[in-house]
Amino acid sequence: MDLYEYQGRQLFEEKGIPVPEGIYAETAEDARKAADEIGYPCVIKGQAKIGHRGQAGAVKIARDADEAYELAQRILPMSVRGHKVHGVLVCAAANILHEYYVSISVDRTSRDYDVLATAAGGTEVEEIARQHPENVRRLHIDPYADFTIDDARVMAEKIGFYHADNEQAAQILLRMWEVFKENDATLVEINPLAKIGSPDDESSKSLCALDSKVSLDGNAAYRHDGWKRFADDTGVDPLEKRAQAHGLHYVHLNGQVGVIGNGAGLVMSSLDAVAGAAEDQGTDIKPANFLDIGGGASAEVMAECLSIVLADPAVRDVFVNVYGGITSCQLVAEGILEALDTLGTTVPIIVRFDGNAAAEGLETLRSSGRGNIIVESTMEKAAAEAARIAADAERQDAAKRGVAQADASKEGENR
Amino acid sequence: MSLFVRDGAPVIVQGMTGHQGMTHTARMLKAGTNILGGVNARKAGQVVELPDATGVVRSLPVYANCAEAREATGAEASVVFVPPRFAKDAMIEAIEAGIPLIVVITEGIPVADTAYCVSLARRKGVRIVGPNCPGLATFGETDGATGTNLGIIPDGIVKRGPLGLVSKSGTLTYQLMGELSDIGFTAALGAGGDPIVGTTLLEAVQAYAQDANTKAVVMIGEIGGDAEQQVADWAKTHMTKPLVAYIAGFTAPEGKQMGHAGAIVSGGKGSAADKKVALEAAGIPVGRTPGQTAQIMREILTTRGII
Repeated sequence: MDLYEYQGRQLFEEKGIPVPEGIYAETAEDARKAADEIGYPCVIKGQAKIGHRGQAGAVKIARDADEAYELAQRILPMSVRGHKVHGVLVCAAANILHEYYVSISVDRTSRDYDVLATAAGGTEVEEIARQHPENVRRLHIDPYADFTIDDARVMAEKIGFYHADNEQAAQILLRMWEVFKENDATLVEINPLAKIGSPDDESSKSLCALDSKVSLDGNAAYRHDGWKRFADDTGVDPLEKRAQAHGLHYVHLNGQVGVIGNGAGLVMSSLDAVAGAAEDQGTDIKPANFLDIGGGASAEVMAECLSIVLADPAVRDVFVNVYGGITSCQLVAEGILEALDTLGTTVPIIVRFDGNAAAEGLETLRSSGRGNIIVESTMEKAAAEAARIAADAERQDAAKRGVAQADASKEGENR
Repeated sequence: MSLFVRDGAPVIVQGMTGHQGMTHTARMLKAGTNILGGVNARKAGQVVELPDATGVVRSLPVYANCAEAREATGAEASVVFVPPRFAKDAMIEAIEAGIPLIVVITEGIPVADTAYCVSLARRKGVRIVGPNCPGLATFGETDGATGTNLGIIPDGIVKRGPLGLVSKSGTLTYQLMGELSDIGFTAALGAGGDPIVGTTLLEAVQAYAQDANTKAVVMIGEIGGDAEQQVADWAKTHMTKPLVAYIAGFTAPEGKQMGHAGAIVSGGKGSAADKKVALEAAGIPVGRTPGQTAQIMREILTTRGII
């Protein structure tokens, strides 16, 4: 689960990582009030769960109350590369003297935590890593060993902070680790970790987190009260929400063939098979969704799955691909029939079963006498059939639209 | 020894008395696994009665902890079915008890808990398989021998043969086992679909490379991380046995988690296309579908005179 900047900031503040004064606002009027409180100039930062918000025009400087209001009004309805802006963070503007980059994340390769840092911050860390890899430090924290202030000091030294910044950097590193560990984060990033203050006054200079990027581990939600305080429905697909409420994993993909299967790997494989078959057939048919019914699926679960997949109006047919390990294909077959009874749908359902009780399940489907159930012997054949049927349906619809258009234009001529 | 466990090795089940634990303990026993007991602190002292492969009913004591169970049974492996919130303690207990192989089936364990346990296990020389995996099944060290089934991999799909299989996905494991059932396997290992796992694809491939009975390896990967690239890098110069791969998730969009906690393309990294390119550059063929993957393996085995 990704957090907004203002939410990640909350976690930073709770651990004493310095951040500029800031107030979150959801309306332009509230943004004006917040700006008045903070003073000018201030920064109006659109909150979206994506980077490069500045480049997209969602981060601007306001010099007075009217400008703060106008900017908030302009930024609030924006989307940054498909991610809807949800409120603005009004921040005190800072005089930046230098920029560092620091992040802690789960390292899947070394199976520990990765501290990535550069003293040459300011731009994209990926860019620096590409052009000046010698400037990027990659250090590790052992999940079993503890990470202390002494470890943080050694790390700050290795990263190459300016000498004057070393001690504060170590404190911030330690607190970032606490934010990471205590919140079950998978990523805690500060970019930039800026040195701010007046260039002529040494005592005014200090490090400050001018942005936050935090991702939390969904599997750990149970020990954080479900992260209710970070709950956010902005931009979540309604069908994905509905599936989630039933404990199902659904991903909307904007294609025409609905896909239901058991096991994440088999479902992904089914999506690929549909797209691959369509490519071979020379059509642009794509899978409409990912939906994993999980292990030991019951008839009710199958019914709910079909109903979710068919709620997508773009779906032309549904490919059901089940390998019965522990799951009985017979039960899945009963679920399909029950679901079709409830839904009364005539959408073609292309079924492939293998494994546990596959023969019984297929026989149950065949003998049901339902014309819209098509049984195939292999996953590849079923995917090809599903792609072909969806393409035919698209063509027929296009032809109908064509006729309707021709009729309409004829009518126009006659008039 | 078959992959990571010898035939007839004594096995305990953590979470045996739960619904899933009980179902699969019964099934593993029938498949020939030498299960000698279970662990559940709250049900210590109880006895569970289940028939083994020969139909003889076994009385399986429930022990209070892993140390006690190991002491009483000499367990060489533990299968973990406990819910996510208790999984960390269960793994630590098994590691501290010195059980050399811990197979974790549980899905939904926080990655920090897994990272901690994997780090601890590596220090202690203990092997964790999983979590979020179907387990490990071996098919006998010699002809006619019964292997060991640890987890939820259905028995009866395949017989003993020359293939080794490692996979990030459960049902795709069964699918490939089914496709190549006539040829047979030495073992099938579910590495798991989480971001951090105790046994990586590479570690499994390396173990198969060392195993005299394994003549060729099938690897099933999916989007997320770089476990497949690690295999490609190593195999380029070290792998002498045929290796055929399949990757799931070419159609997965960036930034979307596809079921498994670890199945996500993020920051442009971990895509199926990148994995395919890396594997093929290392001379490892990648099938378009599970069926085609099996077909490629069949052709290689025929060409090499293995079948």
